[in-house]
Amino acid sequence: MTAGASGGTLGTAPAIPPSRGPLALPARIRASWSERSRQERLALRLLLPMFGLVFVVATVPFILAVIRAVTSDTGTFVGADNLGRALSNEQLYEAIKQTGVYGLVFLPTEILLGLGIALLVHRTVRSPLVRAAIYVAAMIPIVIPQVAVGVVFRLLYIPDYGLINVLLGQTGHDQILWLSNPSLAMFAVASVDVWQWTPFVYLIMFAGLQTVPPESVEAAQLDGASSWAQFRHIELHYLRPLLLLVLFFRLADVLRVFDHVYILTGGGPGTTTQFLSLYLYRIAFDFSDLGQASALAVVVMAFMTALYTVISRFLPADTN
Amino acid sequence: MIQRMKPVTLLATIAVVLSACSSGNTSSSGGGNVTLTIAAVQGVEDTGLKALKPMYESSHPGVKIQIVEAPYASLYTKLVNTFQANDATYDLVMMDDPWMPKFGTIGALTPLEPLGISKDGDVAQVVWDVGTWPPPRGAVPPSEKDKQKQLLGVTIVGNVEMFMWRKDITPNGPASYDEVLANAKAQNKPNFAGYIIRGKATNPVTADFLPILWSFGGDVFDENWNVTFDNAQSVAAIKFLVDDLKAVAQAGPSSSDASDRDRIMATGQGYQSSTWPGEINTAVLGPGTTVTGKVGFEPIPKGPGGKGVGMMGNWMLGIPKVSKNQQAAADFIKWMLQKDTQMTYAQNGGIPSRTSVLKDSSLQDKNPYFSVLADALTAPPNWRPRTDQWNAVETVIGTELNKALAGQQSAQDAATNASKQIRSLMKQAGYPTAQ
Repeated sequence: MTAGASGGTLGTAPAIPPSRGPLALPARIRASWSERSRQERLALRLLLPMFGLVFVVATVPFILAVIRAVTSDTGTFVGADNLGRALSNEQLYEAIKQTGVYGLVFLPTEILLGLGIALLVHRTVRSPLVRAAIYVAAMIPIVIPQVAVGVVFRLLYIPDYGLINVLLGQTGHDQILWLSNPSLAMFAVASVDVWQWTPFVYLIMFAGLQTVPPESVEAAQLDGASSWAQFRHIELHYLRPLLLLVLFFRLADVLRVFDHVYILTGGGPGTTTQFLSLYLYRIAFDFSDLGQASALAVVVMAFMTALYTVISRFLPADTN
Repeated sequence: MIQRMKPVTLLATIAVVLSACSSGNTSSSGGGNVTLTIAAVQGVEDTGLKALKPMYESSHPGVKIQIVEAPYASLYTKLVNTFQANDATYDLVMMDDPWMPKFGTIGALTPLEPLGISKDGDVAQVVWDVGTWPPPRGAVPPSEKDKQKQLLGVTIVGNVEMFMWRKDITPNGPASYDEVLANAKAQNKPNFAGYIIRGKATNPVTADFLPILWSFGGDVFDENWNVTFDNAQSVAAIKFLVDDLKAVAQAGPSSSDASDRDRIMATGQGYQSSTWPGEINTAVLGPGTTVTGKVGFEPIPKGPGGKGVGMMGNWMLGIPKVSKNQQAAADFIKWMLQKDTQMTYAQNGGIPSRTSVLKDSSLQDKNPYFSVLADALTAPPNWRPRTDQWNAVETVIGTELNKALAGQQSAQDAATNASKQIRSLMKQAGYPTAQ
C-alpha cells in the first residue's frame, strides 16, 4: 500500500506542522508519540529490533572504524597519520586502478548481457513453462556460494588438469595460462563475476519488462516502430529505475569482490588482480595495520555514500 | 492481537526465545563439569585431534571437548581478534608456528611449565624451541629481548617441509639441488613436469621457496634484523627458482598452490617437488592416486654450501591467558603427549611429534614419510623469522617472487624490490634494520 492511501494506514497520521529550515527534523519525526496513529506506533515498535540490529552490526562497527582510523595501536589520537600512510603507499593506486578497470569493463558487460537476454526471452519465449525453466536456471549461479564458484572455475582454468586446458590438449592446441598470464588473469577472474551475476541482471530486467503495458508496445508496432525504437522509446523508460538499481547493487559488489579472486589467483600474478578489497584485507591482516586499513575503509565508505547519493537522485521515489 | 501486545510482553517473548536457544546450546556442548573449547584449523591437521576427542571424554568423565574449526585463512584473524578482546571463549588454541611471535608478543598465552607440562628427550629439541617465546636461538625482536623464555605451545602436528620424488623412475632421491635440476632436465617432457613449483602469490610461493633460500646460504634477515634478501646467496636462490626450475616446471607455476602440486604428483604428471607431511596421505597418496608405492621421501636436498635446510610448519596447542580452565587444558595437552596416545593419534591420521612413535615400524607402511620426518625434525629445520611482522614480510616476498615467476620482473628485481619494502616495513615496526 502506498503512502497517502486511506483506511488507517501510515498515511493517515494527524496533521503535522511544516518543517522549519533545512536542518529541522522531518515533521513525522518531530510528531510526538501520542500524535501517531495506533498502526504507526505498532509499525515503529516492530521496526525497532531491526533498527537495533542495524545499529549493532553496521553503525557501531563503522563508528569504531572511524575511531580506529584516527588513533594508533595504543589508542593515541594521531589525526590523519593513518590516512597519510595509506595514501603514500603506491600499491593502493594500483589496487584502485585494477578495481576501476574491473568495474568499468565488466560491469557494463554484465548489465548489457543481462538486459539483452531479458529482451530476447521477453520477446521470443511465450511458453510459461520455458520461462519458468529459464528463471530457475538463472537462479542457480546466484545461490551458489562465491567460494564454491571460485573452486569450480579454478578447476576449469588451471593448467595441466583444468577442464579447458585438458580439452585444448586433446584437440591438439597449446595450453592457455588463464591464471598465470597477467593479461588473461583479469579476464579469468571477471568471467566468474559475469557468469554469476549476469543472471541477476537478467531477472531484474525481465521483471521490469513485465511491467511495460502491452498496449503501448502494440500501438508502436502498428505505427511501424522498429524493435530498437520500441526498446529506446518505451521499454527503456520502464527499465531506467531498475537499471539504476542494478548499478547500485553491482557497484557495491565490485568494491567487495574478494572470495573467488582469493581462490583463483590470490591477487596475482604479482598484483594484477589485487583489487581494493583484497588490498584492504592484506593491509589489515597480513600487515596488521588496522589504523591504515580503517582509514582506507572510511574513505571508501565516504566515496560510496557520495556516489550513491548521486545515483539515488535519479531513482524515482514512487514508481507509480 | 499483535497490535495489543505491550512492549514489555514483546521483550519477554524475545527473552524466552533467546533463553531457549541458549539452553539448547549448553546441553548440546556440555553437561559435564568442564567443557574445553578448542579452536582448531579445519583440514588434515585436526583429523587426529578429532579422533582423540571421544577417547579423552570417555577416559576423563566430567570433561567435555568442543572443537570449533575454522579454515586456515580465517583462524589466525579469529584468534588475534579473540586475544585482543580478552575473550575467554577458547581454552586451547591450535596455532601454526609462525603465529607464535604475534601471540607471544601480545602476551596472549599462558606459560605451560607451571601447569605441569615438562620437556622430554623423546621429542626433538626444536619442537620445544619452536613453542618457546622469546625464541631460544636466532634473531629476537627488540621488544622481546628482556622477556623470560617460556614454553607457550606444544606441537601436536609435527610438520617439516620435505622432498618427494618418483622413486620408480630413479630409485635414489636427489642429494643436492644440482641433482634436482639435472634430474628435472632429464625427466621434463610434454605432460610431465621435471619439477613442480608451488608458486601462487604470497604465502604459497614463500613457503615453497624458503628451504631453497636457506639451502643456498641465503636468508631474509641476519641475526640483527638486517635484510639479507638481496645478498649474493639470496639472489642465486631466487634465480634458481624463477629461471632454472621454472624452465623445467609445470605450465603456469605462478598460479599453482599446494593442491595443484599434489594433484599433478598424484596423477603421475610430475617428477619431484617439496611437500608437507599433511599433504602426503590425504592428497599425494590419497584416494584416487596413481602413484602408490612410487613416491620416495627425503629431507630437503643440499644447496651449494653442502647444507639442506627444511622448514618447520608445526601446529601447536597453546592455552590462552584468559582461559578459565587452564589446568584442565594443560591436562589434555599432557595426555596428548603420552606415547600411547600419540600411537593412537598416528593410527587415526594424526602426525605425531615423538621420535619413538615416528620411528615405530608398525606405522611405516601407512606413513612412509614418518621416519624421514623424525630425521628432518632432529636435523634441525629452520623456523620462519620470529617476528610479529612475518605475515607482512611473507606477503611482500610472495608477491615479488610471484611477479618474477609470471615473467613480470627479473630475479634480481624481485630481490631488490622485496628487500626495499621489507627494510621500510621493519624500520617502521621499530626493528634496528640497516637501510
